[in-house]
Amino acid sequence: MTMSEIPYWIGLTQLNGWKIEKINKLIVNIIHDNKISLEEFFSLSLTEWNEKYLLQENDIEGLLNLKKEIPNFSFLTEELLSQGFEIITINSEEYSATLKNNLKLKHSPPVLYVKGNKKILNEKSIAIVGSRDASEISLKFTDNIAKLASEQFKVVVSGFAKGVDRQALDSAIKYIGHSVIVLPQGVLTFSSGIRQYYQEIVRGDLLVLSTFFPKAPWSVQLAMARNPIIYGLADEIYVAQSDEKGGTWAGVSDGLRKGRTIYVRYPEQEEQNANRKLIEKGAIAVDFDGKIKEGQLNDISKLDKEEEIKSIIYGLLKGKELTSAEIIKRTNIDWKPKKMSDFLKSLNDIQEIKGKRIKYRYKTEDEPQLFIGEPQEKYGK
Amino acid sequence: MTRTEAEVILKRVFKLEGFYDTQWAVIEKIFKGERILLIEKTGYGKSLCFQFPATQFEGTTIIFSPLIALMRDQVNKLKQLGINASCINSNQTLNENNRIISDAKENKIKILYIAPERMENAEWLETASQIKISMLVVDEAHCISMWGHDFRPSYRRIVNLVGLLPAKFPILATTATATLKVEEDIKVQIGKNVSSIRGNLLRNNFHLNVIEVKSEDEKYIWLGRNINRFEGNGLIYTGTRSNAEIYASWLEFAGIPSVAYHGDLDGATRKNIEKGLIENRWKCIVSTNALGMGIDKPDIRFIIHTQIPQSPIHYYQEIGRAGRDGKKTYKILFYNSVEDIDLPLAFINGSKPSLDKYDKITNLIKKKIMGETDLMLASNLSSMQTRVIIADLIEQKIINETFVRGKAKFEYRFLAPKLNYKFFEELRDAKLKELAQMIEYIDTKTCRMKFLCDYLGDKYSENCGKCDVDNDKIIKKVIVQEEWIKKLEQFRLNNFPILHFQSKDSNLINGVAASYYGFSKVGSTIHKCKYENGGDFPDELVQLVLDAERKHYGDLKFDLILYVPPTESGDLVKNFAIKISEYLNIKFSNALIKCIKTQPQKIFQNHLAKMRNVSDSFLYLNIEEIKDKSILLIDDIYDSGTTIKEIGRYLTLLGAKLIAPLVIAKTVGGNIK
Repeated sequence: MTMSEIPYWIGLTQLNGWKIEKINKLIVNIIHDNKISLEEFFSLSLTEWNEKYLLQENDIEGLLNLKKEIPNFSFLTEELLSQGFEIITINSEEYSATLKNNLKLKHSPPVLYVKGNKKILNEKSIAIVGSRDASEISLKFTDNIAKLASEQFKVVVSGFAKGVDRQALDSAIKYIGHSVIVLPQGVLTFSSGIRQYYQEIVRGDLLVLSTFFPKAPWSVQLAMARNPIIYGLADEIYVAQSDEKGGTWAGVSDGLRKGRTIYVRYPEQEEQNANRKLIEKGAIAVDFDGKIKEGQLNDISKLDKEEEIKSIIYGLLKGKELTSAEIIKRTNIDWKPKKMSDFLKSLNDIQEIKGKRIKYRYKTEDEPQLFIGEPQEKYGK
Repeated sequence: MTRTEAEVILKRVFKLEGFYDTQWAVIEKIFKGERILLIEKTGYGKSLCFQFPATQFEGTTIIFSPLIALMRDQVNKLKQLGINASCINSNQTLNENNRIISDAKENKIKILYIAPERMENAEWLETASQIKISMLVVDEAHCISMWGHDFRPSYRRIVNLVGLLPAKFPILATTATATLKVEEDIKVQIGKNVSSIRGNLLRNNFHLNVIEVKSEDEKYIWLGRNINRFEGNGLIYTGTRSNAEIYASWLEFAGIPSVAYHGDLDGATRKNIEKGLIENRWKCIVSTNALGMGIDKPDIRFIIHTQIPQSPIHYYQEIGRAGRDGKKTYKILFYNSVEDIDLPLAFINGSKPSLDKYDKITNLIKKKIMGETDLMLASNLSSMQTRVIIADLIEQKIINETFVRGKAKFEYRFLAPKLNYKFFEELRDAKLKELAQMIEYIDTKTCRMKFLCDYLGDKYSENCGKCDVDNDKIIKKVIVQEEWIKKLEQFRLNNFPILHFQSKDSNLINGVAASYYGFSKVGSTIHKCKYENGGDFPDELVQLVLDAERKHYGDLKFDLILYVPPTESGDLVKNFAIKISEYLNIKFSNALIKCIKTQPQKIFQNHLAKMRNVSDSFLYLNIEEIKDKSILLIDDIYDSGTTIKEIGRYLTLLGAKLIAPLVIAKTVGGNIK
């Protein structure tokens, strides 16, 4: 890709009202299917846009406006490059395969803004996540997992928030491992952080990454929208400590629903956090060394048992429609069909499908925003 | 738009009858969204090539230009035509610039001039990402090329930008001076199907002459005898700042109204001289080549070089500043084959610091994000060398600029390439070849204008018929009469170099030295006393310094004589100051002392380190003595002036009314050993 393509890429991410999937599909259409550059695409006639790319009037209007703004994006690109940032596009070999694999075309950001060692993006990786005000034991766990990861040459991905995030980063640095900081802001607003971790960047141990408009300042929405990127960049996800609400909780719950394997630190008896709840929802309990704890659910109550069954059923009904009997057969749950039907009816996330035989399926439209909703990347320039 | 249609608009908007063919060719290409390099001589009408299309475009045309004076002139002319033009530059107040920026965002400005350095300004970049931009113009485009005569690192980011603009976005680069090699280099850097249009560079009102001399004295004498025989006013270019001072003083001494202009003068003084140039206040202005570029005076009648320029392209550029009105204009180049090549040689050989200095800066940046000032202090390199190294390291993608709280700093790039020092050697070899060509110009047996045009790649085959070669009127020998030799001797005895101290920050006034160090016997006398145990400075130096004091300060009355306390022990300066105070009958005091130990100033390579060395290192033991006093401050050698500045600052703080420096000798370009 020539440098002069970059302003078009950045421009596309700023199209008003376009979701990531729509942008990615257009990009695939241009670069993969038609084998032309973005610059060439933008010099096609409106007829070609309409006939060859099936673009509608609304979309064409947006693209025409964007075309006029490309010189502005050229200025922005120049600023980024001259400050040592690089732009990795979704069609590039440098783009994280893990991220693409996890988020698919639907959610993979078209453009990554990075500074540092780009090779890190295609190394084996883990994410360590958890609350901003984590307990001492959670921080120690984080430190230990980062240590083990570094010893196994795995990259530690974290979000540069207080608590577990910073511990993960600082520990990876301490053990001379590789790490990725996923920013909740645009790269051009992070100069103090870059100064702080300058040595690690120069050494090639650290990559700073953002998927947001380079000048976007930190915000709560960006911090939330950044979480799926952290999960997406990681081959394995470790949870040090989660509360029953907030970013970690939402992120992990969502990840579980998406079928990701998530390891949660098995809490001590007296701990007041939601780690146990996550394990009940289907996360895998691990000990201080990240080893899977066997027989983890033996001591749990009836209510907890129901939670476990719930998460098994959720996993099963994803994308499938089954009857009570079929569910019992497939899960080996020792229940009568009637009990199963009643239980299914009590679940908000399960939808009944009327018919000759009543079937059940997982309600997709009520999914929380994290993975389905687009990261809020659109920022007024 | 057809040419006929365009010319109707041209007449209405610009009050001009028609385009030249070349102008229209350029404009047509611009309308097609092409990239063009236009090489045309000064005064051809290059600016119409972008001003006209700019008025027809929907958005704003941005013009990068390094010359503030030229920007201002063009903006004024456009405004008179009712075209909304503005410029953003460092000479304007923040408020003015902000108002222009907000106008630009509202699409109220058709033509916007900015300096290339703006590309390093965060606010401008923010603005640029918001205004509707229709075209980009790069003025003085030869500044893009390292192979050219006036490479400027600030153009680097324009080149980067141009590489990122859409292929069909119109870009025009213009210059009046580009060899074929520079032309090729600019085309490569502007990229994407750029075409070039080259005009005829011949200036047929130029009368080119070379005068070969055997000594510096012959130059002085020829000028003293002949300057008044030239019509009108002109410029004399010297190779160094001190030579600008000496030549100007000599001409004044010979009764020719002259003034020196160079980078050591403060901004207000320089502006005043520029204004004086326009008003013909002096017969000639003696200057380093800093003066004249971008000054819009059509009737400069002569340009004389006392020192050979580095290359024919430098020479063509510098003489091009005169005679824009097309009337007869003289260009005279002095050349002393024995020694004149030394200065440009030293300049070329010293233009790039040694490899270890590049390594020093690179290693510092590897450890920590640093700014230019931090680097200068940490490396003890001169500010010039530090700047050159930083620019080269950025150019070679070894470091990049970043901004920490709005201040420019530099960081090392991960996986940065090794420094390509060989490139600098190639560059130096190319420049040495160009210098050889310049020497060839001296001896050329063909028309001098043809020589220059050929060198520039202009396919011009006729002779100008006006140069000394064409007319067979080469001055082969300068006649030196006894009376002029005497006059020159007299001048030398009475020429006291001025020390430029005047500023708003302290009550220091411009001082005087009795001589240049190295210019006469004075230097060796000082050296003997100072470094070879030769005893007190002899009385002849006292007499010379008293002469300088009388001539420079005249009737100015002083209340107190102080001297600069030495870094190492010794009473040389103190004893000297006592003698001066006895002759002048002014109270002497030795209450000014050094309160902390400092290093000798000469070991520091830049003014920041020198300043830090002497900062807060002086103490006056009897503070009440200073208030409202006029003080004569004595030292032996003036080099960077940092110590005197620090004392001036301190005494001003104590309430001194005026501090007047008086020294025995001033160094020329730091030649004290």
